[in-house]
Amino acid sequence: MGANLWVNYGEAVAAVLFGIGFGNLLLQKNLIKKIIGLNIMDSAVYLFLAEKGYIEGRAAPIVVNGVQEAAAYINPIPSGLVLTGIVVSVSVSALMLSLTIRLYRRYHTLDLDQISLMIKREGR
Amino acid sequence: MNESVILMFPIVLPVLFGGAILCVPRIRSRSALLCAAGAGLILTALSVLAVLLGNADTYTLFYLTKSLPVYFRLDGIGRLFAAVMALVWLLGGVYSFSYMKHEKEEKRYFGFYLIVYGIILALAFSGNIITFYLFYELMTLFSVPLVLHKGTREAVMAGLKYLLYSLCGAYLVLFGIYFLFRFSNTLSFTWGGVLNQELIGGREPFLLFTAFLMILGFGVKAGMFPLHSWLATAHPEAPGPASAVLSGIIVKCGVLGVIRTVYYLFGAEFLRGSWVQTVWIALTLFTVFMGSMLAYREKLLKKRLAYSTVSQISYILFGLSVLDGTAMTGALLHVICHAFVKCALFLCAGAIICKTGRTRVDELKGIGKEMPVMMWCFTLCSLALIGIPPTGGFVSKWYLAVGALKSAVPVFSWLGPVVLLVSALLTAGYLLPIVSDAFFPGAEYESGSFEKKEADPYMLLPIVILTALAVAMGVLSAQIVPFLQTAAG
Amino acid sequence: MDFVCNIPFISILLSLFSGTICSVLPGRAAKWVNTAVIVSVGIMSAILLVYVNGTQESFVYMMGHFPAPWGNEIRAGVLEAGMALFFCMIMLLCMWGGRKKLDEEVEESKHNLYYILVNLILSSLLALIYTNDLFTAYVFVEINTIAACGLIMIRQIGRTLEAAVRYMIMSLVGSGLLLIGICMLYDLTGHLLMSNIQEAVAQILEEGTYTVPLVITMALMVTGLAIKSALFPFHAWLPDAYGYSTISSAAILSSLVSKGYIFLLIKIIYRVFGFSVFHDSHIINVLFVFGLAAMIFGSLSAIKESDIRRMIAFSSVAQIGYIYMGIGLGTKVGMIASIYHIIGHAAGKALLFIAVIGLTDASGFSRSFFDLDGAAYRNKIAGIGFTVGALSMVGVPMFAGFVSKLLFAQAAVNNVGKLMPTMIVLAVSTILNAIYFMKTVIRIYTPAENTEFAVIPLKREKLYGVAVVLFVILNITLGMLSQPVVDMIRSGLEMFA
Repeated sequence: MGANLWVNYGEAVAAVLFGIGFGNLLLQKNLIKKIIGLNIMDSAVYLFLAEKGYIEGRAAPIVVNGVQEAAAYINPIPSGLVLTGIVVSVSVSALMLSLTIRLYRRYHTLDLDQISLMIKREGR
Repeated sequence: MNESVILMFPIVLPVLFGGAILCVPRIRSRSALLCAAGAGLILTALSVLAVLLGNADTYTLFYLTKSLPVYFRLDGIGRLFAAVMALVWLLGGVYSFSYMKHEKEEKRYFGFYLIVYGIILALAFSGNIITFYLFYELMTLFSVPLVLHKGTREAVMAGLKYLLYSLCGAYLVLFGIYFLFRFSNTLSFTWGGVLNQELIGGREPFLLFTAFLMILGFGVKAGMFPLHSWLATAHPEAPGPASAVLSGIIVKCGVLGVIRTVYYLFGAEFLRGSWVQTVWIALTLFTVFMGSMLAYREKLLKKRLAYSTVSQISYILFGLSVLDGTAMTGALLHVICHAFVKCALFLCAGAIICKTGRTRVDELKGIGKEMPVMMWCFTLCSLALIGIPPTGGFVSKWYLAVGALKSAVPVFSWLGPVVLLVSALLTAGYLLPIVSDAFFPGAEYESGSFEKKEADPYMLLPIVILTALAVAMGVLSAQIVPFLQTAAG
Repeated sequence: MDFVCNIPFISILLSLFSGTICSVLPGRAAKWVNTAVIVSVGIMSAILLVYVNGTQESFVYMMGHFPAPWGNEIRAGVLEAGMALFFCMIMLLCMWGGRKKLDEEVEESKHNLYYILVNLILSSLLALIYTNDLFTAYVFVEINTIAACGLIMIRQIGRTLEAAVRYMIMSLVGSGLLLIGICMLYDLTGHLLMSNIQEAVAQILEEGTYTVPLVITMALMVTGLAIKSALFPFHAWLPDAYGYSTISSAAILSSLVSKGYIFLLIKIIYRVFGFSVFHDSHIINVLFVFGLAAMIFGSLSAIKESDIRRMIAFSSVAQIGYIYMGIGLGTKVGMIASIYHIIGHAAGKALLFIAVIGLTDASGFSRSFFDLDGAAYRNKIAGIGFTVGALSMVGVPMFAGFVSKLLFAQAAVNNVGKLMPTMIVLAVSTILNAIYFMKTVIRIYTPAENTEFAVIPLKREKLYGVAVVLFVILNITLGMLSQPVVDMIRSGLEMFA
């Protein structure tokens, strides 16, 4: 078990990071910290994917000196997935940030629980 | 087997008329409303007559799922119930013409009254338990507006209580149907049961529990202990004719459900001697006694009559629960007799409220001088309900007692008739004082101080007809009983 | 390959690009484009349904030039086509029913944005239905989430903003779990296409090597989708989101968006892991228990609620519980019942939301349950609509809800171990449903004493009336003629395997 963890240390780190991000996204009260948690969580997934796609001693699948045989390159699909994932997470982060700005302008706080309280007091 | 669409007429006609009354804005004046309602009632009654005399007996409406058709089939029990329902509902409708004059929202009342007419006839014609269940639920839903007609807070709460009790009961039934579906080949009503012994394979205890749930579920509508208390709440709040048909007919639909469940789905043989039968008999006898006691103590006339219904319906259920042919004949006789009698009694109570505004029993002194014809009918009906010889009640109770004694159920075969007798005495105890006070108010009332307040002919006619039928039943029982005996197997 | 096979691709693309077009159009034109797109996608789905029903087998449509293990694929069978058709119908009616409210509540300049979002929702739902590729599914799940968030916050008041944030947070947690699940599955099997994964999963199980990671992966994906579809206890965001957003948003969110995720879950169960693998894991029992809990607690919260729209939102929590309970039963009939309930609940709940807005409008815009006295007389068509929806939810025969309850019970009878809990909870939850729905129906039909609220005549809201009537017809049709739908679901599930 320990040996496996050591060999796959990249995946282990990704799992720990995912846990940290997940916990922050769920448990933080501050909206900005939640968004940071979200980004840590997403980055952990990309680390995991990149780690899975990498094969020891091979190059990135970028054509430099003409196409070499397939065994010279790493697996390109995870890299593609990471790219797509980054696009998704950027747009989600942007949306969350814009929502946060809206709420901050209205209630002058970033604490979600306080915002809830204020809204209840508004009584609408 | 005669597949014919004629069977649908008594169901569709009143629903169409009722829907038209509710939806067509053209029907504005009272006379137009009464014309439409009257036409609906009479056409429906005629079509029921045509169906009963004709030879059409099955019709498949559509398939809910492949194995579950919604279909109608006319058999002996169905004919009996359809005839009673059609007659009593028609008379209740005639009575409403005059009674509803002093209530608001007449249009809504007649609309729903007609729709429920169609639905209860569909119940009588139903050929399998799914169809029965479907219309049973619809009956509950569409009869709620009749109960909460006054729209006051109490009336609405009463309607809600009625609805919730009924839905609870219906759900117990549905619960049973789910299980039954698994252990039988078909869900069509077949005398002797539809259980498939191969499919049961040693799960009898489970199936008995299912049967108990279904009996309990239909028992809610029939006012059987422990879920009887909606009756006493709903009846006083509903308008006079509505509570009359509620007590006379809708409660009987629960009885019909029990008959269908016990004799046509599980089969009498399956339940004979099981714990279900024992518990069921005990519940019915307890209800008989408890209903009479509660009625004896009650001061509000309509509530007293409602408790009396609780007790009397359990007479019927007792007759069914001993699983004996003679007792079942008695039960069916009592279905007819109680429908006529209790409907007439409630109509009398409605007429008293309508004309004098009195609701409590102790206010009724001398009412016999004010409304003599109606009070005579009340007296005759009371005698019929108690079971004094020439009337219908005597015949039905006689068969019930004989059947119980004949059946081999331990303890209950003699305890049952004893309870019935005690309850009959209590019935006399809560009805006859009303009658004696009504005609002999005592010395402090001057005989000349009473003015005539006799009810309108529209109100009086149904009461007189129902009373005549209740009395005549005893005399004509020799003609009715053979028919019932074939129906009761 | 027939031309009809292009339909799934065309309909996804059409709705996606019409969204883009709407961004430059004025509100009125965007409205027409939106209606036209929904109608044409609906018609195309109907044609597809007829076609697939004729051939009786599903087909796979290759996207781009790369064949199976590498490229991206679309797959369509009877169930997919039927779902697409049904979702289009519901969406169109939701838009019609909420149009007037939308005009009132959302600024004129933002109308075209709203139609963009609706088109995006439609496109992502279609993609979730049709896709055969897990990563594509993930991307469209995110698009769906973002668009749904927009639908909530388009009506800008404090409550909706907060609800949108809460919705986003829960959704992101869910999609994070889904994403890591997909990545791990890719790691285990080396594929992203559902059919290839299934083969690889079968191989893994045969060799018995990575069984524990496989179960963890399954748990992650199922949990992620369960969170996204608001399974109890992850429903905290739901009442505000459904309760305060504009009405067509609420109807679309409750009847379509959450159902899209559940449909994806069912697809993953069948097409990725295989039904038997899922059935043998313990995850199924967890889903079952949470489903039962949702049925009870959702209804209890609804009973306590005096805000009518939040009440209906809580009822959604209970109904989602029914669906998960059906999945958790682990029988084929249970799955059919769940899918039927997806359809039946979508039709009923959308109708309820649309009807409720008519009732509250007729009661001085008050959302309080106690102000609704006699509302059904002031807005007749809404009253009828609400009654039908409520009866369907309670499970009265003739309406859609009854059939799904019948199917649930049949499914439970086949699973002896879970029989008693299912039956008891079904009974309790039905009674609870009856309590709060019937209470409301009676209240809206109780004539109000000296009310100052004006009657809303039907003539003023023609489109609204049409939408409600069509919804009522849909509900009754589903309740009376359930057999063709059930047959369709059954053959669709057979095509899945």
